Amino acid sequence: MSRLANGGLIDRAKPLRFRFDGRDYGGFAGDTLASALVANGVRLVGRSFKYHRPRGILTAASEEPNALVTLREGARAEPNTRATTVPLFDGLVASSQNRWPSLSLDLMAVNQLAGPLFAAGFYYKTFMWPAAFWEKLYEPLIRRAAGLGKLSMLPDPDTYDREHGFCDLLVIGGGPAGLAAALTAGRAGARVILADEDATSGGRLLAERHEVDDLAGHDWAARAMAELASLPNVRLLPRTTVFGAYDGREYACVERVCDHLAEPPPGQPRQRLWKIVARHAVLATGAIERPVVFGGNDRPGVMMASAVSTYLNRFAAAPGERAVVFTATDSGWATARDLVRSGVAVAAVVDSRPAGEAARRIARTMAVEALFGAVVTQAHGRSLRAVSVRTATGETRRFSCDLLAMAGGWNPAIGIGSNLGARPVWSEAIHGFVLDATPPDLAPAGAARGVFALGEALADGARVAAAALSELGRAATVPAFTASEDPAGSAPLWHVPGKAKAFVDFQHDVTDSDVELAACEGFVSIEHLKRYTTLGMATDQGKTSQLNGHALLAAATGRTIAEAGTVLSRPPFLPVSIGVLAGHHRGKDFRPVRKTSAHGWSQARGATFTDAGQWKRAQWFALPGENDWRQTIDREVNATRNGVGICDVSTLGKIDVQGPDAGALLDRLYINTFSTLAVGKARYGVMLREDGFVMDDGTTTRFAEDRFFVTTTTVNAAKVMQHIDYARQVLWPELDVQATSVTEQWATYAVAGPRSRALLERLLPDIDLSDAAFPYMAARELVWNDRSARLFRLSFSGDLAYEIAVPASQGEALVQALFALGADLGATPYGTEALGVMRIEKGHPAGNELNGTTTATDLGMGRMMSARKDYIGRIMAKRPGLTDPDRPALVGLRPIDGTSRIRGGAHLLPEGAPPVAAHDEGYVTSAAHSPTLGTPIALGLLRRGRERHGERIVVHDPVRGADVLAQVCDAVFVDPEGVRVRG
Amino acid sequence: MAELHREARSGFGLVAIMARKDLAAGAIGAALGLEAPTRPGIAWADDGIALIGTGQGTWLAYAEAPPPFWAEALRERLDGLASVSDQSDGYAITRLWGEGARTVLQRGAAIDFHPQAFGPGSAATMVIAHIGAIVWQRDARPTFEIATFRSYSDSFRHWLDQVAAAL
Repeated sequence: MSRLANGGLIDRAKPLRFRFDGRDYGGFAGDTLASALVANGVRLVGRSFKYHRPRGILTAASEEPNALVTLREGARAEPNTRATTVPLFDGLVASSQNRWPSLSLDLMAVNQLAGPLFAAGFYYKTFMWPAAFWEKLYEPLIRRAAGLGKLSMLPDPDTYDREHGFCDLLVIGGGPAGLAAALTAGRAGARVILADEDATSGGRLLAERHEVDDLAGHDWAARAMAELASLPNVRLLPRTTVFGAYDGREYACVERVCDHLAEPPPGQPRQRLWKIVARHAVLATGAIERPVVFGGNDRPGVMMASAVSTYLNRFAAAPGERAVVFTATDSGWATARDLVRSGVAVAAVVDSRPAGEAARRIARTMAVEALFGAVVTQAHGRSLRAVSVRTATGETRRFSCDLLAMAGGWNPAIGIGSNLGARPVWSEAIHGFVLDATPPDLAPAGAARGVFALGEALADGARVAAAALSELGRAATVPAFTASEDPAGSAPLWHVPGKAKAFVDFQHDVTDSDVELAACEGFVSIEHLKRYTTLGMATDQGKTSQLNGHALLAAATGRTIAEAGTVLSRPPFLPVSIGVLAGHHRGKDFRPVRKTSAHGWSQARGATFTDAGQWKRAQWFALPGENDWRQTIDREVNATRNGVGICDVSTLGKIDVQGPDAGALLDRLYINTFSTLAVGKARYGVMLREDGFVMDDGTTTRFAEDRFFVTTTTVNAAKVMQHIDYARQVLWPELDVQATSVTEQWATYAVAGPRSRALLERLLPDIDLSDAAFPYMAARELVWNDRSARLFRLSFSGDLAYEIAVPASQGEALVQALFALGADLGATPYGTEALGVMRIEKGHPAGNELNGTTTATDLGMGRMMSARKDYIGRIMAKRPGLTDPDRPALVGLRPIDGTSRIRGGAHLLPEGAPPVAAHDEGYVTSAAHSPTLGTPIALGLLRRGRERHGERIVVHDPVRGADVLAQVCDAVFVDPEGVRVRG
Repeated sequence: MAELHREARSGFGLVAIMARKDLAAGAIGAALGLEAPTRPGIAWADDGIALIGTGQGTWLAYAEAPPPFWAEALRERLDGLASVSDQSDGYAITRLWGEGARTVLQRGAAIDFHPQAFGPGSAATMVIAHIGAIVWQRDARPTFEIATFRSYSDSFRHWLDQVAAAL
C-alpha cells in the first residue's frame, strides 16, 4: 500500500472496493480510479498504441495520455476512459487495454523490435506497395491494430438528455481564477454559470499546499463554492466539461450526471449535453504541465510533477518510495517539498537551470541534493529503477529511484479559445502559446492567460470578470485575495538528446526521432508534421505533447517556435460520447413520428404501417388467413373497385390560401388557372419549380370568393408551404393574400368505389349527392357531429369517389361511423399499397414520377400549361432541353406474356440492342400487379414515349431478374374514358 | 425531485388569424375587444379569450372553452380584416406547472426561460425534440402551455415522460 497515513481530501470513513484487471483493491470516497491505483501501488496500467510499451499513470487530470482503461463491463463497458478522471465508486470494475494476453506479458510488444517499420509516416510508406496487398493484407492489419479499447457492440442501456443554459458570464473552470471570477460576477448579481470538470471545485488549490485568505486552499475553495451556491443568480455545474466554443457565443458542455455512480438511478440520464449561450465567458481552464523529452521518459514511474503533488496532497497516495525531481520550473521545487513532507525519500532534485539563491536555500532546508544546470538523460528499467543524470560539469551520475517527477513548464489550456479560428501566439515571457485574439467576448484568465502565480491568478480572474460585467453595463466590486507565496519562474527545456526512445506524444507513440525524420523528409509545416507523424492526433489531442513536438520541429528546421507556429484546436476539447450528442433521439426516437387521428383505429384493424416522411400510414390491412401481402392488396383493390373502400388520406398537405388576391397568387403558383374556379368546385393543379420542372401536384378547392383550400402530396407539404410563403412574402408582397397550414386540423378519408355514394348518403342523409346536385369535382362545407366538415367529389382511384374531411378530433369517430354504416355494403379499409395500385392502373403520376426530373409535358400534362398568364417556372420550362421531343415521356408497360413481373427501376432498351448505357431509352418508375386486369402493369419514362404506343421494348433488370419483353401502351390502364369517376 | 404537474388540455379553441395586407394590429384587436400583441406574447381579454402573437400580423386566438362554431364566428367578425383558419384540432396543448416546469422546458427548447427573459404573458415559437412548439406562460407559479401539432402527440409525450423522469 502506498496510502499515506494522514491527510488528503479523501473520506477514510467511506472505504470502497474496486477491481482492476481481475484483482480486487480498496480505495476511499474522493479517490479517482488513478489515485486508488497509485494508493495500491499499481504502476503498470496500459500498453502504448504502436509499440505496446508498458505505461503508467502520467498525470492526475483530463489530459492523461497513458492511463486509458475500459471502465465497467458488458453493455456499459466504456473503452478509452481516462483513469485520472473516473471518480471511484463501490464495485467499480476496469480493465487495461491494448495488450494480449495480459498487461504484464504483452506479446504485441514485439512491435518494438520492428520499430523502424512504425516510424513517422509509416501509414504511407510501409503499406504503399504492392498495391494489390492493400485491401487484403494491410488494411485489415491496420484495422486490427488501430484503436486502443474495444466497443462492447451491445446497445447502450443508458439515456442521455440535454439542457440549454443562458447567462451573463460563463466561467469555464473552477480553479482559483475561475472561482475568483464567479465570486466577482455572482456578488454583482449577474447570471453566472460555473462549469467545472471536477466534482469538487478548487483546481490546483486541492492539489497543492497553498493558503488563500489565511485558509488552507481547499477550505477556501469550499467556502467560495458555498457562497456561490447560496447566490440564486449563480448556477453551479460540477462534473461538467466545456468542450467547444461555437458561433453566437454558444458553448457546448457535457455534464456527467451519473458517471460517478455504478449505474444511473431510474429515470436519470447518464450524461447531459448543455448548450450554453453566454454574453461573456471567462476561460479559466488553467494550464497543463508539459513533460520533458528524454530517453525512456515513458517508463512507468515517470510522472508529471504536478501529478505527484496531486496524488500526495489531494489523495494521500505516494506514487513511489524514492524519488528524483527533474525540473525546469519553480513549481518542481514545490513538488520536491511535497515529497519530503509526505515522507518520500528524494534522491535528488535535478534543475536544468543555473543555481539561484532561492533554490539553493530551499534545497538546504529540505536537506536534499540539488543538481543545477543538470538534466536527466535516461530513465532505466521496464518500470523505473534508476535515472542517469548529466551534471553541469558534464559527468554522468546514476540515481536509484522508483519515481521521477518531471516539471517541464506550463502550457496555458487554451484549446477552446482557438475553436473559432483565433491562432494562438507565442509568448517569450512564459515560453508557451497564449491567446491573442479570442472568440467574441471570451477572455482567458489566470493560468490560461499565462498568469501562473496563485495570487496573481486570483486577482486576474476577478479583474477579467469585472471587465466583462462592465461591458454589460454592470458594476462589480473587484475583491482582493491574499495568497501564499507561489514562485512561478521557468526556463525552456525542450529536449534532452540521447540514444533511447524519447517520447513526445505518449498516446500515439511519436518520438523525438520521428519529428526529426519528418523534418528531414520535408514535412516542415506544423500542420504537415501533425498529419505525417500523427503527433497530437490521439484522443488526448496532444495536450501534453503538442508544444514539445513543435519545439523539436522548430529546432530541426532552424526556426524559432514563434516562427514554426502551432495548430488550432477543434472541438471537442475532450472526448465526448456519441450518445450524449444524440440525447433522446436514438432508436425509435431518432426522429419524431406523426400519427393520424385514425392511427389507433387502423392499428386495431390490423394495419401494417409504412413511413411517408415522418408520418405513419396504413400500408395494408391483412385479414386472418391472408398469408401474402399481394393477396391482401388485391382484395382491397377489388373491394374498392367493385364496392366501397375507405382510405385515410389525412397526411396530404393542406393549406388555406385566403385574401382578395388568393386567386391571383394561385394563378402564379400553378401552370393552370384557379382565379376562374367557381365557388364550390375543386380543380387539379400542377406547380413547377423556378427551373421549369414539376414540383408538386394536388387539388385546390374554392370555398368562398377569397378562400381557397390547397392540397399537396404528403412528402412535399412543408416544401409547398414554404414555396407559397416565399411567393407571397418575397416575390409579390403587393398581393393581399394569407396562407396557413391546416394539415393537422383536418382528418380526411377517401371513400371510393361504386357504392361510395350509397354509404355517404347514409352518413349525410340531409345532403343531395346526386350527380346533378353534387357532380364530379364538386365540393361543399357542411356540419357533421356538430362540427364543420367538408365533402369533395374527388377521385384518385378512378372510381366514383369522395373525400370527406372533419376536424381531426372527430377523425376516429368518423371512420367508425363509416364502417358501421357500410358494413352491409362491404366497406373495406385500404392502405397506401392498394392506393398505389389503383393510381398506377389510372396512370396518375405520384412521387415516383414527380421526381424532380420531369416536366409537365413529360407527364402528359403539357396542355394544362396556360398560355394566357405567367406562372413560376413558365420561362424555364421553355428551355430547349425541356422541350426536346426526345425527352422521356410517361407511358404504360405490359408484359407481352401477360405474366412476367416488371420491376421499378428497370431500364428500357430497344429489342435486340446490347444492354449498354448508350442504348438506354428510359426506366420503369412504378410497377404493380393489377387485380383489375389480372396482369402485371407498370409506368415508365420512355424516350419519345407518346409516339411509341404499341411498340415492343425490353425491360432490362440485370440486378434482380431476367429481361422482360413488354408492350408500350397508354399510361391509363383502367377506364381510359373516365366513365367511372362520373358515377 | 422538483415538483411538476402536467395536463393534456381538451375542448379548447385555437384559431389562426392573419391580418390582411397593411392592416394594423390595432384593427384586429379592436374587432375582438382586446389589445393584439405586436410582439411574441399572449394578451388576455376579460372573457377568457386570448391572442397569442406568433409572427408579423399573425396571431392565434385561444379560448379554453369556446362556444360552438367559434372559428366561424371569428371569421365573420374579422371579415375584410383578416384571414381566419380553425386550428382547434390541429394542435394538442399540454399544460405544465410547478417548480420543475421551467427546467423541463429548458431541457427541450433553446430559448431562455429565466423569469427575466420569459414571464407571465410571454410567448414564443420554438422547436422541442425536433417538434415545432408554441409556448406561452400563464402565471408565475409558473404555468406554461405548450401547443404542438396533434400528430406529434405521442412523440412529444414520450420526450416529456423522459425529461420529467429525470427531474
